[in-house]
Amino acid sequence: MSNIPAIDRASRWKTIRRETLRALAALAIALLVTFIVVLFTSKAPFEAFTQLLTAPVSRVRTVGLWIDDVVKLTITGLAFSLVFQARQFSMGVQGQVYIGALAATYVALSPLGATWAGIPLGITAAMLAGAVYGFLPGIAKAKLGANEIVSSLMLNYIAIELCNFLVRTNLPKPQAGVLTTNDFPDSAVFPALVANTRIDLGLIFALVAVVVVWFALYRTSWGLKLRLVGHNARFAEYSGIKATFIMVSAMTASGALGGLLGSMFVQGQTYGKLTVLFEGGLAFEGILVAIVARSRPLAVPVVALFYGYLRQGAQLMNIRTDVPAEVIGVVTAIIILLVSSSFSFGFIKKLFNRDTARVSAPVAAGGAAK
Amino acid sequence: MMELFLTVFSAAFFVTVIRTTTPLLLATLGGLIADLGGALNVALEGMMLIGCLTAVIVSVYAPWYVAVAAGLGAGALLGLIMAFFAFRLKADIILVGFAINIFAAGGTVFALALATGGDKGTSINLPSKAIPAVDLSFLSNIPVVGPTLTAFLSGHSVLSWFAAFLVFAVWYFLYRTPWGLWLRGVGEYPAAPEAAGIPVNKIRTWSLIVSGALAGLGGAQLAMFNYVGFTREMTAGRGFIALGAVLLGARHPVGALLAALLFGAFEALAVVMPGLFNEIPAEIIRMIPFVVTIAALVLFSVRAQRALAMRGAK
Repeated sequence: MSNIPAIDRASRWKTIRRETLRALAALAIALLVTFIVVLFTSKAPFEAFTQLLTAPVSRVRTVGLWIDDVVKLTITGLAFSLVFQARQFSMGVQGQVYIGALAATYVALSPLGATWAGIPLGITAAMLAGAVYGFLPGIAKAKLGANEIVSSLMLNYIAIELCNFLVRTNLPKPQAGVLTTNDFPDSAVFPALVANTRIDLGLIFALVAVVVVWFALYRTSWGLKLRLVGHNARFAEYSGIKATFIMVSAMTASGALGGLLGSMFVQGQTYGKLTVLFEGGLAFEGILVAIVARSRPLAVPVVALFYGYLRQGAQLMNIRTDVPAEVIGVVTAIIILLVSSSFSFGFIKKLFNRDTARVSAPVAAGGAAK
Repeated sequence: MMELFLTVFSAAFFVTVIRTTTPLLLATLGGLIADLGGALNVALEGMMLIGCLTAVIVSVYAPWYVAVAAGLGAGALLGLIMAFFAFRLKADIILVGFAINIFAAGGTVFALALATGGDKGTSINLPSKAIPAVDLSFLSNIPVVGPTLTAFLSGHSVLSWFAAFLVFAVWYFLYRTPWGLWLRGVGEYPAAPEAAGIPVNKIRTWSLIVSGALAGLGGAQLAMFNYVGFTREMTAGRGFIALGAVLLGARHPVGALLAALLFGAFEALAVVMPGLFNEIPAEIIRMIPFVVTIAALVLFSVRAQRALAMRGAK
């Protein structure tokens, strides 16, 4: 990083332009591949593809669905950005969402939920629960050296089963046998910002979260240390930074965001109650958002805007045509692969002309495998 | 409690353990080979899942062994893709792995819907085949121990025997052949084998291909023996558990076998427990393998960390 602000700014714009171009190129390639897949599998491929690309803006209601996805993708993208910046591969956002949602549900369905405290207490409880759930793999890694990828993934499965169990047995239900809780009292549900859509208070929380995470990462000493640890943990350790503390705190903060997302799911206009498996795989898509945004908090909502559009387009395509929504998994995978690799157009040309692959320094494996 | 003991020490339970262990063991060996080559293969889960679906769909049209080979091939192909992006295009291998997992989760449901004509849950409408069990009932002719031997050894999948053989084969490869030494060298300190003229990236690429092939084989076993047919997300974290088993098994083939057996035994316990204890909720029983993985990981990480410190912190 340069000390001279002018150069810094110029190179920053260049970086942003380059990254944006790369992301858009990756998106174009992914869509092209998807189109080919749809062409071969659908009876009405053009109709399906038109739906994918235009459906989210077709009605006010679908715009609401889109923005709701964007809000949630922003939060999970931020949660992944935080840990990725510290070069921790904690994959526990999904589990934190379920644990946070459970905590918010217990608050919302308690007598407190019917008072003004329903929303603030619900969010606080969810964030605390998520933070604890994020802290666990962090401390297990820092103190015991337990691989955070494996432990956080295991915690995801445990959280999902715990949620299933509590919804089935412990939480109050409208009737026996259904796998949802009672509707939350109105005082515990985020008010809608735009009537008759899913756009609710969560949008404000997402915007605040973006600013808070940006400020924490780029305007506090904790953030500077965190980024240093992410660049080179041993160097940071030598310069007197407690790398393990930073790692654990990054995972904990990320967990709080995951918990917040949980409360936004169940206390939002979308549900207003706890249902089993409510998250639908959205949490993991934060990986894509964080990678394309290069873990920059301010870029996260922009990426979420694009990706949320595609995601919602796929859902609507699923409903309106014969192409399953899961085709979006192909798009996601291709975008992650292309953006996280050093792909560019010049590189592709060189790649196929060159035979003798030089041995790369183990950038990828060496740092990550530990 | 008594029933539990009787169940656990029965031959039928042993057969169940072998059945639940086999896919895990195959995936763990796959993870081991990638890990020793210096690449943590987090895509085991996705490779298994795609192996499952490929095997099931191919088995509708072809004999079982072709289907198993197809599952293996699908995994190997994913390993090659992973290697291409990680080593040629220099992407972070963890992110590449998760891209493959996301691709597998969505892609298998997509392909399943196409193959079944709209069913996104299971392949119940597809007449898929099973891997035959090895019948060793002739062992009963042996006096005294014959019936016991039959009860314990008969009825396992062909792949279970193959997996047991693979433990030995992988050990032999790693510790008795030059390529095994190269692989371990590449994982330990890539600069040294590179200086010695060993093609580091080629070895890493092969390690990922083999890793994927083994995970795909595990998937074939899962979808053609443990269950016959494909179910959405049927691997249910087994690939990630295998990743834990690699670390738990101290990165050694025999350790991998023991770790896979441990997790397999707890999974088998989760299979038999609902019949014994009605009062324990199914969700809690399903949590067992995951809780055990975390516990084992934490307990054994302490040891691994100490060993690492003794070798001089990496």
